[in-house]
Amino acid sequence: MSVLSPRLSPALLRLNRRAWIAVGVIAAVALVVAIGGIGFGSTWIDPRRVVEILSGGGARGERVVVLQLRAPRVVIAALAGGAMAVAGYLLQKVTRNELASPGVLGVIGGAGLGVVIFLALLSDESNSLVTSIVWQPVAAMIGACVAISAVFLLSGQQASSAVRLLLFGIAVGAVCKAATLILMIVGPIYRTTQASRWLAGAVNEINWGEVQVVAIGLAIAMVGVFAVARRLPPADLDEVSARGIGLNLPVFRILVFALASALTALAVAFAGGVGFIGLMAPHLARLIVGRPVLPGIVASFLLGAIMLIGADLIVRVLFAPTEVPAGTVTAVIGTPYFLYLVLRRGSTNG
Amino acid sequence: MDKAISVRALTVAYGATTALDSVDLGIPKGKITVLAGPNGCGKSTLLRAIRRLHQPKSGDIHLGDVPISGLKEKELARHIGLLAQNPSAPDDMSVEELVRLGRYPHQTMLQPWSAADGEAIQAAMFGTGVSHLADRRLGSLSGGQLQRVWIAMVLAQETDVICLDEPVNHLDMAHQIDCLDLVTRLNREHGRTVVLVLHDLNLAARYADRLVFMKGGGLVAEGEPDTLMSEALIEDVFGISCRVIVDPVHQRPLCIPIRNSTPRFRPEQTA
Repeated sequence: MSVLSPRLSPALLRLNRRAWIAVGVIAAVALVVAIGGIGFGSTWIDPRRVVEILSGGGARGERVVVLQLRAPRVVIAALAGGAMAVAGYLLQKVTRNELASPGVLGVIGGAGLGVVIFLALLSDESNSLVTSIVWQPVAAMIGACVAISAVFLLSGQQASSAVRLLLFGIAVGAVCKAATLILMIVGPIYRTTQASRWLAGAVNEINWGEVQVVAIGLAIAMVGVFAVARRLPPADLDEVSARGIGLNLPVFRILVFALASALTALAVAFAGGVGFIGLMAPHLARLIVGRPVLPGIVASFLLGAIMLIGADLIVRVLFAPTEVPAGTVTAVIGTPYFLYLVLRRGSTNG
Repeated sequence: MDKAISVRALTVAYGATTALDSVDLGIPKGKITVLAGPNGCGKSTLLRAIRRLHQPKSGDIHLGDVPISGLKEKELARHIGLLAQNPSAPDDMSVEELVRLGRYPHQTMLQPWSAADGEAIQAAMFGTGVSHLADRRLGSLSGGQLQRVWIAMVLAQETDVICLDEPVNHLDMAHQIDCLDLVTRLNREHGRTVVLVLHDLNLAARYADRLVFMKGGGLVAEGEPDTLMSEALIEDVFGISCRVIVDPVHQRPLCIPIRNSTPRFRPEQTA
């Protein structure tokens, strides 16, 4: 026993190494999907030329298409998908429930409502904002925080009960959607077209300015994510046991919910109410990399990125030249996935 | 008597119902103290209050000379360990992973892992006899093994005081003895102060250095089992008439219940 023990035992070390190798593979896939996402469009650009252009070469015409039109779209899809996936990972972890996700907990609905209210109040007749776009994620964030607070307040003492959280989350989400719809119907028509984009979730018409806002916001949020990551392992335990080893789970949970709301708000503000990525990506990540937290977070981010880039790619390939929101694809795939999870839970632990 | 923990005039309430009413108690250092009493007497509440899981309405709890209300969450977890009544962890977590969590309160942002952590984990798994299970998934363990792993986690915390809330509730007889023998060994060999909540009066009498009887949210009596376990007191606390004899094997008092002296459900008389 006096021998200096290594930081991790061989078995845990092996698990950890395997997890990071899996993350590497996912990262490679993400890169391929991203390059494919840039290559696809009204004109097909060969992946080798995409790489060439990204590294500074290529013809002027193609440079404009790639750098001004397609790259921002793919980057924002990657960041937004990744942010929602990480939010889902955190939520699933602290609620110990694989059904938890920004969508199911009403965060997306709240963020969407925040954005629509923002647009309704601050757009002028010519359909442009009277204030800076930088405030849009703030509006989404406020909406998301109000929604998640409402879910928690309504759940009250039983906030640790997953079923209550889910039910109130779904209810709050529905109320937000209804309010959003009313705003769009009673508001002038120009708002409707603008607002409908957020609600369905689409990443077209993105410029580098918006990408910058998301990237900076995300960088700040990720600092928070890695700070809480160290405290995530005790959250796997029941509330009393977690408390016993020094983690005040109810307080920690509120912190994590705020962080997840911020991540979701950032994503929703620019990519719209893309559903189910926050549910599917972290679940898939845990299937692939297992329990280690850091690889789990990174894998969630990458898988979320892949999913949203992929969904956007699918709508472009299938429906071009009509711009169908990418959120429709994630919903079509995500709904059966959600049902599968619910049914599987129902058959194992009631 | 050197006290590890002193409870003074502690009152705990759940909403309008008072669970503990002005309780005074000293937990002797290096001994096994068992809290016993009928259902709803407040023994689990008292244990949880000692671990600051309940906010007292009034009164205070001192760890040595320090009031626990002033300690930080992790600080408290370095001094008092707790095995919850129904602890739960994911099935796919490995044994070692769970035991490692016991080191959580010792880790800081600047020093996430030290050699002392590794040693504590090895020692805890060795001491509870679960070293060979280190790589197993929790979901694949039997109830008795799982309980040992949880004890190993609490042990890895290296606290002076260990609180166990009904640790043998779901175990069969062999594993109950096994578990409590293990707790006794930890107490005797490592000098840990142990506070146990036990349902079974005879197990309480057998393992306690100091036995505390509770009823209706208050302390009724406390002392060494040999002198404390009288038929009259047991009738008062548990509402059963009984005989107390000396266990011929362990020379400890043994209670033989005869009948419920305050039956709650009397069969209806038919005329």
